[in-house]
Amino acid sequence: MKILLIEDEKELCRSIEAYLTQENYLCEYAMTYDHAIEKINLYLYDCVVVDITLPDGTGLDIIRDLKKNKKETGIIIISAKNSLDDKITGLDIGADDFLTKPFHLSELNARIKSIIRRRTFGGNNEIIINEIQILPDQMQVMVNGKEIILTKKEFDLLIFFISNKNRVLTKEAIAEHLWGEEIDMADSFDFIYTHIKNLRKKMLEKGGNDYINTIYGMGYKFVVE
Amino acid sequence: MKLLTRISLSYIAFSFIAFVIGGVIFSNVIRSIFYTQIDDNLRTEKLLIEEQINYSDSLPDFRLVFGHLIEVTVFNAPCKKYESIKDTLLFNKKKSELLPYRQLVAKNTSLHQRGYLIRIFMPIDETETLIKTIIIALTLFFLALLALLIYVNYFISRSVWNPFYRTLESLTRYDISRSTPLLLQDSKISEFKQLNKTLDHMSKKLQQDYRSLKEFNENASHEIQTPLAIIKSKLELLVQNEALNGDQMRIINSVFEATNRMSKLNQGLLLISKIDNNQFPIAEKINFRLLIEKSLEHFEELISLKKICVTVSFSQSIEREMNRSLAEILISNLLSNAIRHNIEEGEIQVLMDAENLTISNTGHPLTLPPNELFERFRKSDRNSDSAGLGLAIVKRILHIYNYPIDYTVDGSIHQLKISFNNRN
Repeated sequence: MKILLIEDEKELCRSIEAYLTQENYLCEYAMTYDHAIEKINLYLYDCVVVDITLPDGTGLDIIRDLKKNKKETGIIIISAKNSLDDKITGLDIGADDFLTKPFHLSELNARIKSIIRRRTFGGNNEIIINEIQILPDQMQVMVNGKEIILTKKEFDLLIFFISNKNRVLTKEAIAEHLWGEEIDMADSFDFIYTHIKNLRKKMLEKGGNDYINTIYGMGYKFVVE
Repeated sequence: MKLLTRISLSYIAFSFIAFVIGGVIFSNVIRSIFYTQIDDNLRTEKLLIEEQINYSDSLPDFRLVFGHLIEVTVFNAPCKKYESIKDTLLFNKKKSELLPYRQLVAKNTSLHQRGYLIRIFMPIDETETLIKTIIIALTLFFLALLALLIYVNYFISRSVWNPFYRTLESLTRYDISRSTPLLLQDSKISEFKQLNKTLDHMSKKLQQDYRSLKEFNENASHEIQTPLAIIKSKLELLVQNEALNGDQMRIINSVFEATNRMSKLNQGLLLISKIDNNQFPIAEKINFRLLIEKSLEHFEELISLKKICVTVSFSQSIEREMNRSLAEILISNLLSNAIRHNIEEGEIQVLMDAENLTISNTGHPLTLPPNELFERFRKSDRNSDSAGLGLAIVKRILHIYNYPIDYTVDGSIHQLKISFNNRN
């Protein structure tokens, strides 16, 4: 899987690259508009992560170019301006998703995975991890072939864990993923605990393994050997 | 006190004092003129009588000569010379009352070596009446003149001060947070011209400073975002390191939490400066009832976690033109405040009628006057995790649309009331 990262802040590029490389993505980055246009015209990427504000142009033009020439590429906008206009314009001209800086790397990773999943497998993709089988579009989860009924939040949580398996997910990242930015962090940590407890219980009931580890008050980790 | 009232009052007071002093002097002058005249007459009469005595050595009957009383007594022995004029009262038989007279008493020795005493009484009641009439007539005339002058003065002052009042009105309506410049009308009077020029200069300077301050705020918040994003991403990479032990993890966790707080704070400040810079211009019709219902649904888990009882009563639904993002932030901030600062098993009451939205909740008593909480970074509980920007943002949003908000506390009940009516 090839990913192009268009972002003018070098250190941010490096962090994202480091995180995504560990997910076995081939990650390249471009720090200027010209460089980015050159790259997307030369190579084919599965997903492009693009910053709207670039020193020599706007990311919106890159998206227009991509939509014209490389329709199959997934597009995620990342923007420091949490302006509604940019978001609407970006999604209008064909971007798949929109993330506001600062974001969690785990969140970006989950969004990239979701886009690639949708683009690669269409409607009938499934995720299999040992005894767990998930049909994301039908919101169906089976453990050892037996279906378990999850609430919307528990399902989102499970997908988020699996997208970032073997990674430490901070409580903040989980909270933002489930409730959005405006929720007060301190209040939401209690729910995370409740949701994780319920999710774990439901999976154990059907003979599944306990994958979710707690990491020193920092967060949780979905460990798959 | 209004300027014109003040001017008129001073005018009246000074005119009154001048009038009283002038009146006293005037009446004394009149009286002394009349009395000098009377005294001169008395002396002339006396001289005539003396001439008669000296010439004929007889005593003619003067009683009726001049229509007033004259008494002459002649002694055989010589008299020492003496003369005085004074006021006195005599009984008038005709009118049967005491009337004022001017009395001349003179003693002397005639050429025939006989002493005589002359007493002449001149009635002055008519003179007094005359003086009084003159004074009254003049007083009336002066009062009429004064009234006219005050009236004229009032109108002149009003037209002279008119540019000042217009300037004052423009100043009252001037709001630095809005970009409309201070518009002052020209005046022909040089002092007002100068005043307007100075004010114009000051307002331009103020606006410029205000703008650069706003720009600084926005730029600073904006620039802080990138390093924050880098710190957060590096920390996230760092915690993936398997070799970290518990203590190290806890330190990273603290750094992470502080960074998150700063990030939230920065986002709040950025939002405020965006609101102040009018970067949410697009307005649409917002149904606040739907918005509140949606927001409450969003906070459902928080509400149930704190076991808060929410009562909602919409007697009417308010619909107003507003920017959607701002309206959502407004409602979300108000409700999350009501939840966050609530107590376990507390209550929230949302009331809406045709013009007002009232959100009240149970909570802890405040340590600050309620309206101070609309300022940035003001919080009742110093140790709380919140940035203290929620209500400041609420206030800024409502300021754009000219809707007043009021915060009252009654014991443990906190009430925020927005009036969607007072549009100017």
